[in-house]
Amino acid sequence: MKKLEVFDPAMCCPTGVCGVDVDPALAQFAADLKWVEAQGVAVARYNLGQEPQAFAANPAVIAEMQAGMERPPILAVDGQIVSTGLYPTRAQLAQKLGLVATADKPRIRIPVVGGCEPGSGCC
Amino acid sequence: MALPDVRTRYLFFTGKGGVGKTSLSCATGLALAEAGQRVLIVSTDPASNLDEVLETPLGATPTQVLPGLFALNIDPEAAAAAYRERMVGPYRGILPDAAIRSMEEQFSGGCTVEIAAFDAFAELLGLPARTVDFDHVIFDTAPTGHTLRLLTLPSAWSEFLDTNAGGASCLGPLSGLDKQKDLYAATVAELADPARTTVVLVARPEAAALREAERTRAELAELGVRNQWLAVNGVFVAGSGDAIAGAMSDRHAGALAHIPVGLNELPRSETPFVARGMVGLAALRAALQPVGMAPEACAMPDVALPAGLAPLIDQLAATGHGVVMTMGKGGVGKTSVAAALALSLARRGHKVLLTTTDPAAHLSWTLEQAEPNLRIGRIDPAAEVARHRDDVLARAGADLDPNARAMLEEDLRSPCTEEIAVFHAFARTVEEGRDAFVVLDTAPTGHTILLMDSAEAYHREVLRTRGDMPEAVRQLLPRLRDPDFTRVLIVTLAEATPVHEAERLQADLRRAQIEPFAWIINQSLLASGTVDPVLAARVGYEAPFIRRVGELAMRVALVPWLAEAPVGGAGLVGMVKA
Repeated sequence: MKKLEVFDPAMCCPTGVCGVDVDPALAQFAADLKWVEAQGVAVARYNLGQEPQAFAANPAVIAEMQAGMERPPILAVDGQIVSTGLYPTRAQLAQKLGLVATADKPRIRIPVVGGCEPGSGCC
Repeated sequence: MALPDVRTRYLFFTGKGGVGKTSLSCATGLALAEAGQRVLIVSTDPASNLDEVLETPLGATPTQVLPGLFALNIDPEAAAAAYRERMVGPYRGILPDAAIRSMEEQFSGGCTVEIAAFDAFAELLGLPARTVDFDHVIFDTAPTGHTLRLLTLPSAWSEFLDTNAGGASCLGPLSGLDKQKDLYAATVAELADPARTTVVLVARPEAAALREAERTRAELAELGVRNQWLAVNGVFVAGSGDAIAGAMSDRHAGALAHIPVGLNELPRSETPFVARGMVGLAALRAALQPVGMAPEACAMPDVALPAGLAPLIDQLAATGHGVVMTMGKGGVGKTSVAAALALSLARRGHKVLLTTTDPAAHLSWTLEQAEPNLRIGRIDPAAEVARHRDDVLARAGADLDPNARAMLEEDLRSPCTEEIAVFHAFARTVEEGRDAFVVLDTAPTGHTILLMDSAEAYHREVLRTRGDMPEAVRQLLPRLRDPDFTRVLIVTLAEATPVHEAERLQADLRRAQIEPFAWIINQSLLASGTVDPVLAARVGYEAPFIRRVGELAMRVALVPWLAEAPVGGAGLVGMVKA
């Protein structure tokens, strides 16, 4: 069974509704992860603000963050980092995981950082 | 003096700020302690003055005031800081510094403060072991709107945790929340158990205050908190033929004669008007004596009285537009002052929007008749949340597939959404000050400061964010800081607690780089011309506070206690003319 890990920047929530403004890409990404899971991939998602232990336990992820805080979101497949700095589309996720994408939608815009951003006043 | 007749282990004192919650809860605690009980008094007010009333420096753990009487403050800011450190501290030196900073920022907003304070409060109420040494725990709770939020949260969150099975829970930084679920459930159960908890609604004997208490009663009853007590504080009965004394006496008697039906069914205690207030242990003890105190003879103090509202309105009107915010502790008459200023500006021919962010708003009661240049609005959290939700779903949800949309809708039910929605509404209202006057009757102090805090956090965020940020939000903090655009008026009474709190408010505003335009001393008996012996004792007590305000403020206006209540067009005009 393949394993996909997502290391998000510090943010309120996976869909980003707590941010100053909502990013549709984040909501879609959360749904795409559900799809990936339904294809038989084990998915784990970690938020820097809420699950820092997962970051601390992963030297490769720490090394990425030392290179710059624009690196999260960091995606790893079976421990290998496959993507940094953006949320891939469903097609891209499928390609990285060797799956066949269905019902993909074009992405509206790809954020550099999460929509539910630090200091948004909600957290 | 008649105090609430306490049988339960937990007591909550709730009511508008300035009605005497702290004094009454301390007097009640003192009476219980002197009867041999062990009592803990707890304040959850961000602007607590428990230390002052008990004349004892307090902290986050129980401090003994007298044998059997202990007290502590839950400072929401400190609780939030402690929570933040608990979450972030273990990762210092392990994660990169930039990652630590981004975690810290995530824990710096209003929601963390609110939740952390509630967490500390739930530990006292939901974990009996924490208070096992005490027979009674008395909560001197924060002003009404804030209290209600605090009290509403447990059921809202239990519900949220129950229904949010998808795991996409937007509970912000409190990710450990579901671990606390049992604690919150225990807290809710304690609050609703009539054998364990009494809620004392504290109100002044005035119509608006009693209506407010009735609103609180109904809301709490709806939350399942039905064991309630009404404490009417500061009832004045004229003992002389003085006109002001007669008017005050009549106003109080009239309000008590027309007490709202639901409130009237509650058990009730009435405490008399105390000229010198109830700050300090000696004053609390004196107030416990069953016999009325003989008022001390008091010469008319020699203090120069500031001018009334009219010159201040001239200065405000000169710019022709902008935002006027009346701020201060609840119960000092901000609502009436805001309405009087708005009406005066409108009658001078300016377009005026009078609006409020106060969850306990009753502007509409103060100003009933239509004025051609005056619009009345309200930032209603429930309506704003609905509007925000629709807006987000329309903009961000349009291109999502059904699953993604469902997850977005689920996250929009989070408690955080309200804060964001109200903030956007506030920014839009301030924007209207570009070409008209906007008079804002702001929420009570603690909540207002949280609002300012989030303005600051937003400001930093907005500077970093590109894209489709509403212009009103982008401009909010620069506008609040622009002295030609926004005029902050601090409303206070010539009394110890309101002046101290206004002083703290001014310091907080200055930290946010907002300079108050003027202070307004409201309901001054000294300026009313009363010669009644009891009221004259209060008059002597006002003088040093009027002097103190003169030292603190850039400009001062003073409004006397008026025989005609500041209600309706004529009453409000009377405030300006006086």
